[in-house]
Amino acid sequence: MTHALFALTSELTWYAGGVVFVAAALVARRTTHRQIALLLACWLFYATWGVGFLAVLVFSSIVNYFLGTALRRRVTPARLWIGIATNIALLVLFKYGVKSLADDAGIGAMARLARPIGISFWTLQALSYLFDTYREEDLDPSFLEFCLYMAFAPTVLAGPISRLSSLLPQFRQPLRPTTADVSEGARRVLLGLFMKLVVADVLATGWGRAGGVNAGFERASAGLGGLDVWFLAVGFGFQLFCDFAGYSHIVIGAARAIGFRLEENFDRPYLSPTPAAFWTRWHISLSEWIRDYVFMPMTMLRRGRWWVYTSLLSSMVVVGLWHEAGPTFVVWGAYHGVLLVLHRVGQQVNRSTSYRGLRLGNAGSGVMTFALVSVGWLFFRSPTVSQAVSMCRSLMTFRSYGELSLPFSFYAVTLTVAAGWVMASISGRCLELVRTYWQAAETDPVHPVALAPTPVYVTAIDALDYFAARRWWWLAPILIVIGVVGGFALTDLGATPARTPFMYTLF
Amino acid sequence: MSDQFEQMIQYIKRDVMRRPDVQLDEATPLVSSGLIDSLALVDILMKLEDVTRTRLPAGKIQPKDMDTVQLMFATAAKLGKPRK
Repeated sequence: MTHALFALTSELTWYAGGVVFVAAALVARRTTHRQIALLLACWLFYATWGVGFLAVLVFSSIVNYFLGTALRRRVTPARLWIGIATNIALLVLFKYGVKSLADDAGIGAMARLARPIGISFWTLQALSYLFDTYREEDLDPSFLEFCLYMAFAPTVLAGPISRLSSLLPQFRQPLRPTTADVSEGARRVLLGLFMKLVVADVLATGWGRAGGVNAGFERASAGLGGLDVWFLAVGFGFQLFCDFAGYSHIVIGAARAIGFRLEENFDRPYLSPTPAAFWTRWHISLSEWIRDYVFMPMTMLRRGRWWVYTSLLSSMVVVGLWHEAGPTFVVWGAYHGVLLVLHRVGQQVNRSTSYRGLRLGNAGSGVMTFALVSVGWLFFRSPTVSQAVSMCRSLMTFRSYGELSLPFSFYAVTLTVAAGWVMASISGRCLELVRTYWQAAETDPVHPVALAPTPVYVTAIDALDYFAARRWWWLAPILIVIGVVGGFALTDLGATPARTPFMYTLF
Repeated sequence: MSDQFEQMIQYIKRDVMRRPDVQLDEATPLVSSGLIDSLALVDILMKLEDVTRTRLPAGKIQPKDMDTVQLMFATAAKLGKPRK
């Protein structure tokens, strides 16, 4: 009890220190003072996960700064390769090696260095600095600025994976958040908290004792019907999305509130019409990183269509491996690689033969893409490839579709979340379309509604703009009410969902 | 140079986008606007190498260097090595 209280007090002290340093950064006049205050705040924040983790982060920052300096002094492929090898070695050592070494040797203290939180993310940031230096981009960070780039609190735990070229100019500017920045930042934080604490957690653990995605995947080894597997795949897809996109909203919003702009990480991914479009909307900072530093350099080594497809497939395997060096993630990455290649081959065949047989249209294509992506989540979430394969087999066994063995509340929650998300995602677009249509009435003399009185349109357009810009303020409460009422109606009145950690902080 | 610009613009409209009617000039953003994807970019890179008779080094080119036709040729002039 005393130990727990001490740990909590100690953690709160560290957070309080972080807040003080952020406040100091906001009022500091000199750039160096501001950067020092921000770096101390970021290091304190990171140290709350473990001082050992901070030691690894600082070590990696020092090593990469000197690797970058050496590369800038003389740009050679050999120096770049040394940098790449060093970073991969550090990633493998601290993500996997230290834990097994500590277990083998029985050294408890060593285990404190194992799997530093966010190591997969800040290693990619370090590598992008080396690649950009090799490309002779105009980057000249001081040691202080580079440490801040590596430890920057909004990105250090789970991205968005930022580039130095985007953050460095911001580190050198005074922090002057406007009222609009604070308001927008707060909106993003609240939205992120809603997505994580309400939607993702309810999907993960289910409502009350009923069981959610986690319990469903545990039961999967005993065999599930095809419809159950679809619900689990879709449920997990939304859980992961709300967890990670929610996290991204929180950190992008927190950064915005103190005057920083970070890249967006998601853009309505489940409305993607093709697998290729999905990867421009899902975990954007990772897919752009892979495109820029793996796919493009690899694909330019040789000519030929087969090589382009090999590069694409390999890049997607790297995406899988980056998450975790395990067979399920390799298969998940390869599966997406195959989807991308098949989609491209299909496009080529369509073009070269003018084949017009299978035309799904945007909506059909979107549903197909969503279904294929959902099947991929079975590999992402299952503990073993054999379990994922067995779940896929259930999808193919149509007579199993009548067997429903998951709690009724899980189906209701999954359907509510999926319908709510689609409503929230397309409502803005629908309002935009109506606005464009009405606006055309003002300028187009032959427009069907051009003869109606103009003040009505002005008021209607103003109202549309108002609701379109604030749809999370009116739509989110509606969804919460539907979810809460539905949940209470289905299970115990006093039951609440359990809390789960942000999933991408585990990679 | 303008002939090369025009050749590339026509190639992108006709062979990459398959939309000969689309409005495109040498300053139109292609990658950042989402008009072309990474795979299309690879085709354009290969065409750029052919048009400029250069070889572009792997690892030195990024999509942002290829965002407009103007930028593509500037990148080729800066980084391209003459073909043997």
